Amino acid sequence: MSGRVVVTGMGCISGLGVGLAETWPKIVGGEGAIGPTGLAVPAARVDAGRCAAALSALDLRRMGQLDPLSAFALVATLEAVGQAGLAGHSSLARRTAVVLGCGSGGNATIDTAFERFYAQGRSKVHPQTIPSSMISAPASHVAMLLGLHGPAMVISSACASSAHALGEAMHMVRSGRVDVAIAGGSEACLSPGSLIAWASLGVMAPDTCRPFSRDRKGLVLGEGAAVLVIESENHALARGAVILGELAGYGTSSDAMDITAPDQAGIELAIRDAHEDAGLPTEAPALISAHGTGTRLNDKVEAAALTAIYGADCAGKTIIATKSAHGHLIGATAALEFVIGMRALAAGLAPPVLGYSEPDPDCALPLALGRTAFACDALVSNSFAFGGLNAVLIGRKAT
Amino acid sequence: MAATPDAILDVLAKETGIDRSGLRLDATFAELDIGSLDFVSALFMLEDKFDITIEPDSLGPTSTINDLVALVTARTGG
Repeated sequence: MSGRVVVTGMGCISGLGVGLAETWPKIVGGEGAIGPTGLAVPAARVDAGRCAAALSALDLRRMGQLDPLSAFALVATLEAVGQAGLAGHSSLARRTAVVLGCGSGGNATIDTAFERFYAQGRSKVHPQTIPSSMISAPASHVAMLLGLHGPAMVISSACASSAHALGEAMHMVRSGRVDVAIAGGSEACLSPGSLIAWASLGVMAPDTCRPFSRDRKGLVLGEGAAVLVIESENHALARGAVILGELAGYGTSSDAMDITAPDQAGIELAIRDAHEDAGLPTEAPALISAHGTGTRLNDKVEAAALTAIYGADCAGKTIIATKSAHGHLIGATAALEFVIGMRALAAGLAPPVLGYSEPDPDCALPLALGRTAFACDALVSNSFAFGGLNAVLIGRKAT
Repeated sequence: MAATPDAILDVLAKETGIDRSGLRLDATFAELDIGSLDFVSALFMLEDKFDITIEPDSLGPTSTINDLVALVTARTGG
């Protein structure tokens, strides 16, 4: 056995569009999805009509009322499984896992129910409020969609949820517990109540997301999902699947420090562990997909960690920060960034960091400020969540 | 608001995902394979639409569509 875990399918939905074929040209061309919400903060919204259209062929009768959280996961899953050539395949059964990351459950459903109860004074809310909004609903819906009877779960670690999901799923495949995993994340956090809660935290930009720029003012939320099909290399080869790349490494750590502020030492631990797990020397050329939220402190601490590990000039590294285009999808963001990063590796093109206007001496990194050609085989995708929950994924280009 | 059989069946079709033409008046909820979650969701929407209260135990799996129509119609004074 090779022990390698390979990627054979990728799907996504976000403010940038439905599907990777639509998302990639936009993001590599410098197009962003951030726009006004009618509230004090902008966001990057999914086109709800196009999401519904992508599911219109399904018989959803047994699935109950779908919160966007689950709808997004289903759209991304259909694309990934279709690309992997696994739709209706016999290996989609007991030995396939579903591991998705979600940060906060179905906010739209909860908002609607609570508004009815608190503001309208109604005594009942919709009976499907709980099953629709529960944070594990996307994993259940994906399992029902595909008829999967293996381990299925949602991992919640705020902004790192889907990095943890992909990493833990990778271990399931590596250990031989399953042959295939449907892994990624979904998030639908743009309900008015959720946006106001985030805005009240004081970390939101009033204009746009400007990772590592001196005038950055905070993060911008997005919504959507990204899902990958990962499987053992042997399984993929045996069924003649097209291998898109490798999920080669996973490092994770806990700062054990603060409920919101990042800690450089914890971040460094996760990055170094991921390199060690993948057998990728830190000196090796790599595309770095930064966590890059655009908040004052996060970007500064991440830049310090990157220069501490890779050297002051981060030689051989190209750094991207795609939240500037699709917003921060919280529990889904790591999976979306990994999908975009793997697509960038395949193309040898880095999508530009948007919103960047002036260098910050505290964040002196080799950023891809325009569409940038690069030559390397490895992706390092960073996720550093509130509460000090860090997860770093390493991908390799298909050989 | 008076509840017509058509308006009641429209709500039921929407909440259960069953085509309107498949909702025979003499069929039971069990025969139509309407699960408990769809069933309570449909009752909730009927309560909302017609501003009535339906006691949870007033209908069950062996009740027919006609029983539901009669109950809602009676509650709305029809």
